[in-house]
Parts: sequence; structure tokens; C-alpha cells
Amino acid sequence: MHKRFGSLEVLKGITMDVAAGEVVCLLGPSGGGKTTLLRCINHLETIDAGTIRVDGEMVGYRLLPGGRLREESDRVVSARRARIGMVFQRFNLFAHLTALENVCEAPVHVRRVPRAAARELGMALLARVGLADKAHVHPHHLSGGQQQRVAIARALAMDPKLMLFDEPTSALDPELVGEVLETMRGLAEGGMTMIVVTHEMGFAREAADRVVMLDGGVIVEEAPPAEFFAAPRHERTRSFLGKVL
Amino acid sequence: MTFDFPYFWHLLFSTAFLAPAWTTFWVTVAAMAIGLALGLFGALGAMSRHSSLRWIVAGYLWLVRGTPVLVQIVFWYDAVAELTNNIINLPALIAGVVALGINEGAYMTEIVRAGLLSVDPGQREAARSLGMTNALTMRRIVIPQAVRIIIPPTGNQFIGMLKTTSLLFTIAVPEIFAQGTNIYTVNFRYFEVLCVVSIWYLALTTVLTLAQRRLERRVGLERARLGGAGQGLLSRLFGAGAAREAR
Repeated sequence: MHKRFGSLEVLKGITMDVAAGEVVCLLGPSGGGKTTLLRCINHLETIDAGTIRVDGEMVGYRLLPGGRLREESDRVVSARRARIGMVFQRFNLFAHLTALENVCEAPVHVRRVPRAAARELGMALLARVGLADKAHVHPHHLSGGQQQRVAIARALAMDPKLMLFDEPTSALDPELVGEVLETMRGLAEGGMTMIVVTHEMGFAREAADRVVMLDGGVIVEEAPPAEFFAAPRHERTRSFLGKVL
Repeated sequence: MTFDFPYFWHLLFSTAFLAPAWTTFWVTVAAMAIGLALGLFGALGAMSRHSSLRWIVAGYLWLVRGTPVLVQIVFWYDAVAELTNNIINLPALIAGVVALGINEGAYMTEIVRAGLLSVDPGQREAARSLGMTNALTMRRIVIPQAVRIIIPPTGNQFIGMLKTTSLLFTIAVPEIFAQGTNIYTVNFRYFEVLCVVSIWYLALTTVLTLAQRRLERRVGLERARLGGAGQGLLSRLFGAGAAREAR
């Protein structure tokens, strides 16, 4: 898969498979293409060549006879995205809605779940991320860590097949990072398929099944975390780990 | 010359301005309704992916904002009839409402656009990532948050519109100022009559200002809560929010 911003090629041919239930951490220096790759997966960014499939279905494009790609309509793209959860660095909770309303919004208006059922689901999910008591609070009254946990619950409410995390702890105060990582660890143990862009080496080491090092728009190295951190094969990986560890 | 206080007093409480005040009021509301609708479509068009729509909106703004509203009023009343050989011959009231509404739409387009742009792009991305279509994202996430930004300048426009309706006296719409001119051209008591006319406008703008404050308090509830309210009050208000949500 290739991605270009104007004349700058950000992703120079990425080939990658993530198995169901697998947790993959994307590591690498800033500007290496990690976030772009993640955003391409649910078509928040268009791609210039290649294909992306989630659960066997192409995201954002349709294959025309002759092998050409055609961007899908808004409706079709939205339907695909509905089963791909995304958690953002800046949380992006809906500011005009309470925590519970944030979680229930998409189930009610996209999946057409009846309000009462959505509410029940929302409360269960908030309880799962440890925030049942904050259900009726607006985002700006929550700490960053709490907001991010609500954002995770909101994504889970759509029953995603895949969860994408875009530096979920980078905007948090250090003492709040733990609670979010704890929530993510719980998800990983529950068998969720996850792709996580992170700078949290501890999380990558403990929770990931596989670590992928991305630099300069290519995959430099990928390995199980034990191997990756103990014996990085590639010089660029070694120098990156030398700086962050 | 002297200010004829008894006459002023008599005119202020006479019924002469009741019907004109009502006309002024509903012409204002009707023109603003058209303006708001055009403003919403205009803003969406201006932000559209389709360049043809953006050009149409740009042309509309260029034409309407670049010509005097008085010219537009006379255009809709007289020139349109002439242009179409009287096939379209709008009554003065309708022509006035149409002219003011279309004029207002251009200004509201910019106000609504500013409101939509003020919403953090992350809100839209989050909505899209949850599978919400563009239209649903606009309706459920972007517009409700933009409304808070849009209300204060729209209140300004509303009050401006109320006063601009006085231009309709040129096409003989029986609004407040027209009624004033009818009276002072007969008795030449300009000062007394214009004082009464001004008081009627002041009364109406006061009503609009109060209505705006109420509306702001309602949609800006969240922000009001931030200012100084104690924790007990906060949780009580959130309790009320929960009750609303449960319906």
C-alpha cells in the first residue's frame, strides 16, 4: 500500500497482515508514517496504490474490472468504518454530549439500536472502563485519562472487529497513562484485534503479539516483542530503541 | 419650535402603530427565516467538495453583498415585474420579505460557515470513524456545536433586520416607519412622530434581545455551568441532564 501527500510519499509500499485477535504495536520515530498508516486503514486518508482489507472486505475502494480502484460512496465507506473502532490521541469526545451520550450516539443513529438497549449497552461499557459513575458528565469535566477511557467505550459500542489506537496516551499527563493502558491491556486479553501506534515501550513489550518498526515510510523490522526488544536485527531499530529506552 | 408633549403622548398610546409594528415584526421573522435557511445551505455549499457549488455560493455572496439592500428591494418589487412582463408581479409585502431574506442569506452564510469551521475537526473525524455518514455527522455532531457560536451574531442580524425593514417604506409596505411618514407628511410634526417610531423600534429590539439571552442560556447551558457554579449545583444540573437524556 502506498500513500502520498502531494509530492511527498509517506508510505512507500507497506505490506502487512494482522490476524484476528492479534495485537500489533507500531513503533518508530515521528514522521515515519505510523499514524498515516493507521488512518488509511479506516479510510480517514485516501491511499494512492494497493488495497486494504478488513475482515476480507476492502475499505474505501471497490475493485473495477481491469484491476482499477474506485473510491466507494460515503454510505458504503461509513458502513465499513462502523466496524473499525478508532481511538485518537486527542480523545475527540463529542463536546456537547455526556459520556453516556457519547457512547450511545453511534449505536442509536448508525446501527439503529433502540434507545433503551443502547443505554444499557452504554452503561455496561462505561462500567467496563471503570467510569459508570461518570455517565452523565460532559467531557470537559473529565480528566484526560477518563476521557480516553470513554473514547474507548464509545468505539467498543459499535462492536468493532478491529480497534485502531493512534498514540492514545501521548496527550495524557504521566500519572494518567496507566489507567488507559490498563483498559487497553484488558481489551487485548479479551481477544480484540488491535493495531496500536504508541511510544509506550512497556505496553508494546507486555501486551503486543508483534511489534512493527516503521521508519521512512517502510517497515524496517517486525518481530514478537521479546525478540524485538532483546535482539533487534536492524541498525535503525537499534538506534531508535537506544533513544527511547 | 417646541416639542408637543401632549401630542407625542397621545400618539405613543394610540393604536396607529399596532398593525405596523406587527407587520414589522413578522416581516423580520419571515426574512430571517429565509436568511437562516439560505445561510445554512450557503455555508454547506461554500464548504462543499464540489467546486460548482462553491462557485454558486461565491457568486451569490458577491452579488448580494456588493449591492445596496435598497436597490435589491426595489429590484424585487418593480424590476422583476418589468423583466417578466408582469408574469411575476410580487405584492409589496412578499417582494420585501424575499428581498430582505435573500440579502440576509448572504450574511448568514458567512456566520454559519464561521460556526461550522469553529468546530474542532477532530469531532468530525471521530464521528466518521464511528461509521456516521457525512450528513449524519453534520446533523448530529457539527451543527449542534456550531449553534452556540452562531447565535450571538445571528442575534445581531435579527436586530439589524428589524431596523432594515424600515426601508420597505419605499415600496409602500405598511410597517412602522412607513406609518410614521404617513403621519408627519400630513401634520409636519417630524420630531414627535420620529420619537414614537423610535420607541416602537426600541421596544421590539428589546424583546429580541431578551429572547436571544434566553436562547443563549438554554443552548449555552454547559458554558454557564462552568462559570462559578458549585459542585452541588453542578451535579444537580447534570442530574437534570440525565433525565432529559432518558426520555
